[in-house]
Amino acid sequence: MAGSTYIADADVLACTELLEGLTILFQAQSGRTHILAPPAPEILEALAGRAGDADAVLERIGARFELDAEDAAGAIAARLAELEGAGLVHRP
Amino acid sequence: MSERDEDQETGGRAVPTRRAVLALGAVAASTVVTIRPALAQTAGSVLHCQIPIPTAQQAGNYIAPDGQVVPAGTPGAFAPPPRPLTGEEAKALIGHGPTPPGIDPDAGQAYVNYIRRLQAGMSGFTCYASLQMPR
Repeated sequence: MAGSTYIADADVLACTELLEGLTILFQAQSGRTHILAPPAPEILEALAGRAGDADAVLERIGARFELDAEDAAGAIAARLAELEGAGLVHRP
Repeated sequence: MSERDEDQETGGRAVPTRRAVLALGAVAASTVVTIRPALAQTAGSVLHCQIPIPTAQQAGNYIAPDGQVVPAGTPGAFAPPPRPLTGEEAKALIGHGPTPPGIDPDAGQAYVNYIRRLQAGMSGFTCYASLQMPR
């Protein structure tokens, strides 16, 4: 169940600041600031300029991290929906 | 950074080994808080959000000096505050400001450590995260 395909702008992480484990991200296009907790920044990195579905995101971040989740596919799908709601990823 | 490939534990939190561990969180957890440009108007309400200590599910438990939630009566731990802290009070405590009224000054640092341990999805996290924004 790969679900929808998403993509983030290639420069989505261009303006970020790390603060006590959280990533503060300024999105110039919308003028909004987002506070992201892991794994949201990692998902954005995986989708920056590269479209992919939940399976692709899992594969990309799984190449860099040991993933810790009871329901990895469900968690990624939920994060993607959340990032879409925040306007940080969109469907190509 | 260490390249050691060994399992270590520090207080139950995994530390990076060769590959860092990335917790994906629960499906219902929240990882994004968006601050809109009209923040100037909402900054006041951010300071009035509330952080329950501990969460409602853990009500009645004590807070250890390091911020962990421990059973009531644990030696060295503090009873929870009688009411949730507001964002403004939490900000003051974190910034070593005045202890809010009705809050045990000795327990203040334990509460701060509890707040710092809040994770996405836990009650009060969004409020805490909102306090971290640059003003």
